[in-house]
Amino acid sequence: MAEQTSSELLVAQDLTRHYQVSRGFLKGHATVKALNGVSFALQGRRTLAVVGESGCGKSTLARQLTMIEPATSGHLSIEGVDVASADRATIKAMRSKVQMVFQNPFASLNPRKKIQDTLDEPLLMNSDLAKAERLDKIRAIISKVGLRPEHIHRYPHMFSGGQRQRIAIARAMILNPKIVVADEPVSALDVSIQAQILNLFMDLQEDFGTGYVFISHNLSVVEHVANDLMVMYLGAAVEYGDKARIFAQPLHPYTRTLMSETPAIRAEDRASRSRCRANCPARSTRRPAAPFISAARLPPRAA
Amino acid sequence: MSLLQIKNLRVTFGTRENPFPAVDGLDFQIDRGELVGIVGESGSGKSVTMMALMGLIDAPGRVTADMLQFDGNNLLTLSERQRRRIVGKDIAMIFQDALSSLNPAYTVGYQIKEALKVHMGLRGDALQQRTLQLLELVEIPDAKNRMNAYPHQLSGGMNQRVMIAMAISCDPKLLIADEPTTALDVTIQAQIMDLLLRLQKEKDMALIMITHDLAVVAEMAKRLCVMYAGQVVEERPVPDIFNSPRHPYTQALLAAIPEHNKGAQRLSALPGIVPGQYDRPRGCLLSPRCSYTQDKCRAERPALLDGVRCITPLNAQGVPSHG
Repeated sequence: MAEQTSSELLVAQDLTRHYQVSRGFLKGHATVKALNGVSFALQGRRTLAVVGESGCGKSTLARQLTMIEPATSGHLSIEGVDVASADRATIKAMRSKVQMVFQNPFASLNPRKKIQDTLDEPLLMNSDLAKAERLDKIRAIISKVGLRPEHIHRYPHMFSGGQRQRIAIARAMILNPKIVVADEPVSALDVSIQAQILNLFMDLQEDFGTGYVFISHNLSVVEHVANDLMVMYLGAAVEYGDKARIFAQPLHPYTRTLMSETPAIRAEDRASRSRCRANCPARSTRRPAAPFISAARLPPRAA
Repeated sequence: MSLLQIKNLRVTFGTRENPFPAVDGLDFQIDRGELVGIVGESGSGKSVTMMALMGLIDAPGRVTADMLQFDGNNLLTLSERQRRRIVGKDIAMIFQDALSSLNPAYTVGYQIKEALKVHMGLRGDALQQRTLQLLELVEIPDAKNRMNAYPHQLSGGMNQRVMIAMAISCDPKLLIADEPTTALDVTIQAQIMDLLLRLQKEKDMALIMITHDLAVVAEMAKRLCVMYAGQVVEERPVPDIFNSPRHPYTQALLAAIPEHNKGAQRLSALPGIVPGQYDRPRGCLLSPRCSYTQDKCRAERPALLDGVRCITPLNAQGVPSHG
């Protein structure tokens, strides 16, 4: 398990988040175990990729890491400070260290704000810099992400999807955070733009020494960017370890299924097909142990 | 005789003084039972082409073509009434986002029955039976009960299956799938792809698979059209186009995929973006982004020759041939 050393930026131990959902009038509450005991560690200048299907708890994990919601139980320490049980003032101070890049740059930028105002906001909230200093910072970061200085006077609708994602990345990077949580940052982009954005992520990591938590369902992207890999299924990590090891020798049947179902261009990359015949079980029907069994034990389909 | 033949299709938007071509002289054909993939970035005209074919382009969009023939019918001269008899019956389409394409106010069963009532004239028991049969065909478990479910009660993959059931309900000769798996998870994507392939074989449909995911077509299609800025830039059989792309754009697209950069630190990205309304080049449309651009490329638009639209197509070594 994740031993805490001084170089660890982020350590999660048995991180759990349960939600109470209403089952209807006078029926009491049901519990959705969105995140069910996840442990991992992340160092600076490294990338942890989290993969899994929708509903596996990836985004709940992102909400935990960015301290948007308190954990139900477990520990989460950022630079040695345990934020899972911290008071509000500590959390507020820690929040600027973790920033987020969202999936859809068409929805994550305020259409009524100029780029300058969008980028100014994190600085206003988290620093006491004067206006001129903030403008210098905005200009610096905007050229860093590959946009031109005059772009800061424009509105989001004047940009293409790739440029908007650059702006979203600039907004995340402007506070020089220790950790950036990227939730499917390239899945809404075209292939050629996707490559540009992935390159930008890597250049920025090189420059700032940021640690990335990279949430994705595209295994070929993950294979390219990650150092470590965590495969999630139904709120739990089913496999966690070094990327090269997992891609060379996946141990969990779910990891193997994911890999064989990812389409590949080169015939030699196509693993033998093992189709997952069932969908993710509904949250209410989840069984406590070995969540993948119900899907894995189904008979192979008739051709 | 091809099932569908398109010659010099143009779809333009914008004003008459300042037109913007979304599809710029497209030639395309598909035979019965064939599976063709169309790939391209957003804005390359993939979807607009198919919407023009279905007659879904409204003013201010203008559609012109030298030939737009489907199964012996000239779609250009057909009246609205006659066109409606073909569209939705012989040509059917599946859209990307199933949840927003389905009507949230009606049950999925009702929505499947609609096409059967209009095109096949089914009523009563026959209608009920056929709907149930369709839901079972697309492998929806517990079809009898799901018929009365509303789209929001089903998952994304199940909704996509409902869309497919709807599209194949009248045994179309041509099925157009516009990014059918983009919004789905990998595991569900694989299931939907299997389903489409199986139905295509069983029903001997022609299938046009529009996507921006090269890996999806690499596994499914026999022939591939690569579109860029409203034109087909390369059209060749599938193993060849991936092994030795002849157009610089195809080469760049393939090079940008992480799969092809194993071990590399950076991806080889194609710089720039697709030309828009105001920066459409006079010469080859790729010339501002292409790494092999010469003066000749900026001056003249190349024609589609031997499946490649390039003045200096790439040879087997992946470098421009001099011609």
